[in-house]
Amino acid sequence: MSGYYIPSEGLQSFAQSLMAKMPVVAPVAKGKRFIFDQLGDVAELRLDYDTTVLPPKKVFFPPKQDLLEFDEGKATSCLDPQAKVLLGVHPYDIKAISMTDKLFSDNYADSNYLANREVAVIIGSNVQTPYERAFYGSIAQDLELVGHDAFLTKISDGYVLDVVTEKGEKLIADLGLADASAEQTSEAEGVNAKADEDCPVKLPFAAGDVSEKVRNSFKSEIWDELSKDCFSCGSCNLVCPTCYCFDVQDEWGLGASNGKRYRRWDGCLSSEFSEVSVQGGSENFRENRAERYRHRFMRKTAYLNDKLGAPACVGCGRCAGACTADIADPVNTITRIMES
Amino acid sequence: MCDGNNNVGQDGNILLPKEVEVVEAKKVTASETHFVLKMKNGDAMDYKPGQIVEAGVLGYGEVPLGFASSPTQTEKTGTFDLVVREVGKVTKALVSLQPGDTMTMRGPLGNGFPVEEFEGNDVLIVAGGIGLCPTRSMIKYILDKRDDFKKFTLFFGSRTPAEQLFVEDLDVWRGAEDVDYKEIVDNADENWKGKVGVITQLFKELDELNPETKVIICGPPIMYKFVIAELKGFDVPDENIFVDLERRMKCGVGKCGHCQINDKYVCMDGPVFRFSEIKDLEEAI
Repeated sequence: MSGYYIPSEGLQSFAQSLMAKMPVVAPVAKGKRFIFDQLGDVAELRLDYDTTVLPPKKVFFPPKQDLLEFDEGKATSCLDPQAKVLLGVHPYDIKAISMTDKLFSDNYADSNYLANREVAVIIGSNVQTPYERAFYGSIAQDLELVGHDAFLTKISDGYVLDVVTEKGEKLIADLGLADASAEQTSEAEGVNAKADEDCPVKLPFAAGDVSEKVRNSFKSEIWDELSKDCFSCGSCNLVCPTCYCFDVQDEWGLGASNGKRYRRWDGCLSSEFSEVSVQGGSENFRENRAERYRHRFMRKTAYLNDKLGAPACVGCGRCAGACTADIADPVNTITRIMES
Repeated sequence: MCDGNNNVGQDGNILLPKEVEVVEAKKVTASETHFVLKMKNGDAMDYKPGQIVEAGVLGYGEVPLGFASSPTQTEKTGTFDLVVREVGKVTKALVSLQPGDTMTMRGPLGNGFPVEEFEGNDVLIVAGGIGLCPTRSMIKYILDKRDDFKKFTLFFGSRTPAEQLFVEDLDVWRGAEDVDYKEIVDNADENWKGKVGVITQLFKELDELNPETKVIICGPPIMYKFVIAELKGFDVPDENIFVDLERRMKCGVGKCGHCQINDKYVCMDGPVFRFSEIKDLEEAI
């Protein structure tokens, strides 16, 4: 595929021309932080963001998503994919999207996610301002960067847009972008090659060693110690780009004969996550917070590795920043276990 | 394991259920209702003993349930059975359904019992309480294809005589020659003339148990390890023991995460597990 050059002052008109085609979801400022939101005014675009509060998975897998509508006992599917551009996705989040793509496709393909995913065009962008808790430079390194359609790299006097799929080519075909010169392409390659070096936090252990050691520590008492300040709030789950658990609930409409079934994000840290109703009460298969805390780390470092080809963590650092008690940072927890 | 999207709804939406007609709804104990059901709209229900469905009522939700009937019945009559125990909001809505009403359903889901592996072997089924419902799919299957199996032993334990399920079946099995049926209750009432105690006491009545016997265990979570300990006393290898597990299952298709035990999804990789494959998995038993 091809590389194009966009001068610094041309970025907004580039985004504007995308907005003329379809809605563009991109990083914008929200208070002192950033979120992915639909661009209303192109001036809001902030490709210099560090990280977003919620990962971009919400575009395909919204926090609350209608699954089906029913009326008079008849149910119909709520699939209603809307084409959009997802602009400015950092490489760690692209890796996470490639994981959720696989997880929602495997075995039973889930069209509630995949239909939204298929109509989206993803334009990644390099990290200009690393988030202080991020450790993407030292995790999921074996995972190929795939799933995006194009990638924007900031160079000294503008951007290089590397288009990697036909979907990406089709989107920008009529924008009249200039080809990137050999020097510009080479500068962009250099920027991306040293991106991981600029990542603030390092996880100094190989994925295989982490997986083995964490898995073998299942019965260790260390989990009680590590989780003793856990509020079971599930913030670490909710901000995680690779968490994809959900609950399903029904709600009635005002007509009392109609309503909706929806799913909403759920998290394995919440106390009722594994609870079932039984005669005369309930049975909870992970009753203690240490069990739930351990489950999350097992799932991130060990359980899904065979399926994903890498740990289910891309080093975004969002959980570290979101945890009130600051006990969710994978770097701290993994280090503590590796050194135990 | 699963065959892929062979039972998805409209738009390929795996979470969209099909419609099922309630043919019979019989309240069988204080909390359990036995449903005889039939697919609507020309849909088929081809399942294996031990598989599950997500049964539901629109506006209330879905719950995972094991088939309580054998596919041999469904082939003949087009109907299949489920038993619902009223324990919460969704099951309350389910047990209120009457003949002619519509239940929603997704499935069959999960793996079921490896029937072919059981053929030509002795079989022991140990069912505790409501664990008789999913195992009844296999019990009835064996009795319908009796020549395909050797000695068949069935243990059933319930809390009280009043909580015994499928009492008409029990009457038949008590006198039957093609199944060695043994039963026990935790607490007797004045009319109970049978044994009183926990289900493991039934093993004391076995003179012998061929270690080659294929064993199915299904019951309350506490029951498994005690039954497995008894089986060790008869030298039954872990490979021959199959446990039918219960977990919270919201989606039934290996996505929502609630039923996960280590890297297994009970809804999809189970609910039937060979004990040798999960005995070292913490949180399983």
